[in-house]
Amino acid sequence: MSQAQEPPRRKLLRIDDLLQRNVYDVDQRPHIILHAEKCEECEYKPCLRACPAECYVEVGGRVIFSYEGCLECGTCRVVCPHDAVEWDYPVSGRGVYYRFS
Amino acid sequence: MGQSAEFDAIVVGAGPAGATAAYHLAKRGFNVLLVERGRGAGSKQVFGGRIYAEPLREVFDDLDKAPIHRWVRRERFTILDGDRELTLDFRAGASTSFTAYLTQFTQWIAQKAVDAGAVLADEVRVDGLWLDGGRVRGIVAGPDRVAARVVIVAEGVNRLLLERAGFVHRASPRELALGVKEVIKLDKKTIEERFGLEEGEGLAWVLLGEVTDFIPGGAFVYTNRDTLSVGLVVHLGGAYQLLRDQVHVLAERLRTHPRLSRFFEGGDIMEYSAHMTIEDSVGYMPEHFAYDGMVIVGDAAGLLLNTGLTIRGVDYAAYSGYLAAKGVERALSEGDASAEALRRHYEVPLRESFIYRDLMRHRGASYAMKNPRMFREYPRVALDTLEEIYTLGRETPLPHEALARALSRNRVGFAEFALRMLKVVMSL
Ligand SMILES: Cc1cc2nc3c(=O)[nH]c(=O)nc-3n(C[C@H](O)[C@H](O)[C@H](O)COP(=O)(O)OP(=O)(O)OC[C@H]3O[C@@H](n4cnc5c(N)ncnc54)[C@H](O)[C@@H]3O)c2cc1C
Ligand code: SF4
Repeated sequence: MSQAQEPPRRKLLRIDDLLQRNVYDVDQRPHIILHAEKCEECEYKPCLRACPAECYVEVGGRVIFSYEGCLECGTCRVVCPHDAVEWDYPVSGRGVYYRFS
Repeated sequence: MGQSAEFDAIVVGAGPAGATAAYHLAKRGFNVLLVERGRGAGSKQVFGGRIYAEPLREVFDDLDKAPIHRWVRRERFTILDGDRELTLDFRAGASTSFTAYLTQFTQWIAQKAVDAGAVLADEVRVDGLWLDGGRVRGIVAGPDRVAARVVIVAEGVNRLLLERAGFVHRASPRELALGVKEVIKLDKKTIEERFGLEEGEGLAWVLLGEVTDFIPGGAFVYTNRDTLSVGLVVHLGGAYQLLRDQVHVLAERLRTHPRLSRFFEGGDIMEYSAHMTIEDSVGYMPEHFAYDGMVIVGDAAGLLLNTGLTIRGVDYAAYSGYLAAKGVERALSEGDASAEALRRHYEVPLRESFIYRDLMRHRGASYAMKNPRMFREYPRVALDTLEEIYTLGRETPLPHEALARALSRNRVGFAEFALRMLKVVMSL
């Protein structure tokens, strides 16, 4: 029953290391556009925790978005309470290429 | 694609639903265009890990030739909370489902469609439905418009086209969940040893509790031939706001959990993927499954059943694609692709099928599953009750005392607990 007997936790991989496992053909033009001015009034900023690729990060109170690691799940569009995410799929075969999922 | 002659049918999305519809229409001699935004069919597919076979036997007469990884015989269910764990381990007498990569399985269906004569236009993103009055006349992709007598919408859960055209409401987080998954490479033997499986046998494992930080959802492990699919699903409504970590952090916690890591030890992560899934199927369904010149199949039609212990979307998708192909065949042979004709030949059979009937029958239970207490207090009640029963000092509690103490520790009233359990059972 002693807590000390638990084996130590192994290291968690960071998001970059996870995304690196994937194959992408990144388009030069972003498929998602964030209208970040709308984020300023947003209290919860659900995108920061909802995005499974950590494409949304907060820097000095501002939300910064990058599309390169996007997994195309569509979650950010759905959870955004201020309609700040202009969302589309990447064009013609671009974006993530899943092989084993 | 250019300006081309009219197709009998255009299918939007080569997932299991769309590829199956295209296959069955092409097989019946129709001239079909199957449009997919990804590079090759299957390249945008993500799911948990297992497919139920029985409905597919009617749809594909050579299902045994599909890229099947393992037939699932072992079902495991676990509640985890710190160093406490409750596991139910069941070995079924027969197997009715198999593990697979949805990427491969979808490719297999799409290849059948192509072999049957369908034209697969991959790397083409459809930008809109071509509407004429209220009628769907075809699709818009970049500068092109392509006409068809019927459009089969199989765009999946993220319904941009149906939303844009106003056929469905805007998706709400309450109706949806987010899933993430890691595919971990291990050799075949190691998998069988670690999970206690016979050769070729598969396991499906659902985990609750700490693994989702006690918010609604669940984690999963499926054994493939020489990989594991490991991930979790979290509901996007309500309790999700309480999530303290990002979802990929939860996935990594699962992989490195002290009670679980020995299963994954030494395995390389080959892929990390994410996809949404439907939480409230009935709420997500469009008002109709057919409109003038258009039918809706698969996830786009809200056809997904997640009971908490089992999830079925792929077989529902493929079966609805099959029903749509049969319905469209009838309508086109009568020369009538009106909403009325398509409803008669597709929507009615769909509503009479096992899919729709089960979705309606499970409605109450899935409502109960949405209660956050199902994922926080109740699993702890189960663990605390067992703790009372097994961790004895001097006194040995009676079973009802053990339960009463567990309930009060979690501030769950007995009446509430009894009623909730009764409701779940009754709704089944
Ligand atoms: C985490 C998770 C776990 C799951 N686990 C299971 C499970 O274990 N078993 C099970 O049976 N089901 C499971 N499901 C559900 C299952 O994945 C879906 O029900 C199934 O994939 C639905 O098939 P579909 O063909 O309707 O849609 P999808 O598989 O989503 O296919 C839609 C296709 O349309 C394409 N597309 C979309 N929009 C466009 C456009 N505008 N232009 C061109 N192409 C487009 C997409 O690229 C995609 O290929 C799970 C789902 C998730 C998210
Ligand atoms: S679609 Fe998914 S992965 Fe891409 S930015 Fe939005 S939430 Fe992140």
